This record gives sequence, C-alpha cells and structure tokens, in this order.
Amino acid sequence: MSHPPNVSHLSTERLAALSDESPNAAELAHLATCAECARERAVYQNLLELASSESARLGAPLTSWERLAPALVADGVIDNGRPLPAVSRARRGRSGWMQAAAAVLLVGGGVVAGRYTAGAAVLPTSAATARPAVNDSVPHFASVEEARAAQVQSQLTFQTATAFLAQRDTNAAVSETPATIRTRLATLDQVREVVGKALNDAPYDPVINGYYLTTVGQREATLRQLNTALPAGMRLTSY
Amino acid sequence: MDHEPLIIRRALDGDEGALRALWTRHAPHIDMVVRRLVGGDVDLAADIAQEVWIQIFRALPSYRGDSQFGTWAHRIAVNRTLNALRKTRRLASIETEVQEDSASVEPDHERTFVAQSIEAAAAKLSPGACAVFMLHDVEGYTHEEIAQELGITAGGSKSQLFKARAKLRKLLAHLVDVKDISISGKESLHVTSTERVAPVY
Repeated sequence: MSHPPNVSHLSTERLAALSDESPNAAELAHLATCAECARERAVYQNLLELASSESARLGAPLTSWERLAPALVADGVIDNGRPLPAVSRARRGRSGWMQAAAAVLLVGGGVVAGRYTAGAAVLPTSAATARPAVNDSVPHFASVEEARAAQVQSQLTFQTATAFLAQRDTNAAVSETPATIRTRLATLDQVREVVGKALNDAPYDPVINGYYLTTVGQREATLRQLNTALPAGMRLTSY
Repeated sequence: MDHEPLIIRRALDGDEGALRALWTRHAPHIDMVVRRLVGGDVDLAADIAQEVWIQIFRALPSYRGDSQFGTWAHRIAVNRTLNALRKTRRLASIETEVQEDSASVEPDHERTFVAQSIEAAAAKLSPGACAVFMLHDVEGYTHEEIAQELGITAGGSKSQLFKARAKLRKLLAHLVDVKDISISGKESLHVTSTERVAPVY
C-alpha cells in the first residue's frame, strides 16, 4: 500500500463521484500517493466515458410503421383523405402541403375549364383514351385527386416493401456487404443533397417532395441495415 | 441542408409520408432512449415506444421549432417513458430500491454471464437507479432535471447515481478496469474496452 497509514481510502461512492467532480485538497493529496484509489478513480472515469458513448449507440427498432400507422389513423393524426375527428382537424393549420394540393386541383381544374371554354372536349378524345387497356392491372383515374391518392399510396407501398425486404429478404442480404451498403448510403446522400437543393427552389412541388421523402426514408433504412451488417464489436456512433 | 421543417409542416397536415419520414429518421434514437429507461423488458419497451410515438405526433402542433425536433421528441420520450414506468410501479420507492439494490452484487462466477453492454448491465439495477444513471451519464441530464422528472431531490439523484455507478463498475469490470497506473504525478490510463467504433459509412 503506497499511501500513509493514517489516511483512509476514499469511499466507493466518493470515487464514483470523482469521475465527474473535482477532488478537494485532502482527496487530491491522497490520490497522489495511493495507487489503489487513483486506479479506482480512473476506472470510474472509464465507466463514465463508456456511458457517454452509449448515448450514440443505435439498436434494433422497438416500433414498426406497420403497427404505428393504424394507431395514428385512428387517432386522426394521419389524414388519408378520410373524414377526421373535428378536434384533429381543428388543431391543424392549413399549411403548405394542403395549399400545394389545392394548387394542383386548381391547375387541373383550370386546364379542364380552359379546354371547355375553348370548345374542346373536357377530356382528351385522342387515341390515348380510345386505346384499349394493355394490361388490366394498369390503373385508370377518373380525377386528379384519385391519381394523387394513388401516387401517395404507391409511394408508401414502395417504401414499406423496401423496408420489409431490407429486414426479411435473407437472399438479398447475403450479397450485401457493408461495403455495398456504404456505397448505397453515399449515393443516397448525394441524391438527398441534389433533391434538397431543388426543394429550396420549389418547396411545395409534390414530385420533388416525394423524391426527397423517399430518399430520406431509404437512407435511414440503409443506415439500420448497415448497423446490423457490421461485424460484431463494431457499431455506428451516429447516423 | 436540413429540410426537416418542411417535412414537419407536411406532417402537421396529416401527410403519412412525412410522418413516416420523421419516424424513420428519429426512431433509432427515440426507441433507444425508451429501451434504456425500461431495461430488459423488451415487450414493455415496445409498448411504451408505441405510446411515445403517438404522443410525439399528437403533440406535433405544439412544436414551435425553438429546439431541434429530435431534442423536442427526446424530451417527450423521456417524460412519457417515466410516466409509463410509474404506472407500472416500476419507479416506486426509488430511494429504498437503490439502497437495497446496491447492497448486493452478483458473485464472480455469475459476473461472466453479465451481458457486455451498459444497457444489459444497467438492466441489473433497480428501475429507479437505472433511470437516474441513464438520464445522467448517458442522456446528459443534470441532477436538477432528473430531480424534476423523478420527483426527488437533486441530492437524492446524486446519491443514487454514485451507488448505481458503484454497482456498474463491478458488473462492467471487464470493460472499464485499469491495469496499470502511475501515481508519480501523471496517470497512465489503459482503457480495456475492446469495442471498435465505426464511422458513419
């Protein structure tokens, strides 16, 4: 023991406190001569560093959108075009997205009105409409609103299917190394930057918004995939 | 360039794609906060995380943008999780739980079976001690903030934290032990953690 016999060791709790508190003069003097207490203090500082690094650690998600979305629809938070509870509607402002949707309808309506006032048929009568359906699975839309709803639904279906495949498709996972996932991640970052700049110029453009959201969603899904694909002992510290 | 404000505006209008984008971006952190505070009960953590996200989106109209969305959502996650744990009585009698908890540590032969992460080791603490440790040392809360969240005093929070650290020091000895140290003025620390850290990509 390298400390003077009349000086007792620091208590366990005090040593635990000294990982983020300063020792007083007497404690400092003791730590300078007692290897045991000095080592214990260092151990607690390591523990604190370990805990701090824990804050950046990501784990497997606890929630899934497939489970969360129905609850949000029932709660009136998600508006899929269905009537919402009065309270839910009242608490929402009519902001950009609704204005954009309204603008799309107005433009669509304007085109229709223009054709009508110009003496043309409201709907094109070209070969496009006369042409028989090539494939019964190709949808036909009666209105802009219907097409728009289908577009949103398709986007969601695509994102959900991609996330599902990323988690469950083990055949694909075999060929996806961390290197290929990183390449995808870097590409998605570039796409996000480009589409993000476009979003600045046209913040309410529904197509650009759609691309941006898809890119963001894909990037996060890829990050999760990379986190699980890394070798044991390695982990992401941020995302 | 962060376009999150635009996504939030769309989310406020009930756009599912925007809501999902927010969830996708922040779920890794928010779910992790819930998991840490709840401890080892994964089913309970999943239920609470679901409630947390519903609460976050319900409260979205009250988000003013004074802080980052992630910070704001994180605060809701902590509050909601602690409330949920209180309902299940897991945070009852925090003070006495920590006292009792700190009094016993697994014997050495069991220590080898302790999982190798702080999350798993903290699950060995009482829920109250786990909450104080996670909030202070992992999430960066002050003792005053913890006191407010848990309804205890700042001094009580400190006392519980040090006891929790003392137990974790033993449970995580294989990760934090220091082999050699010099007391001739300069300390030479040897962190024994074997965990490597990967960059983002």
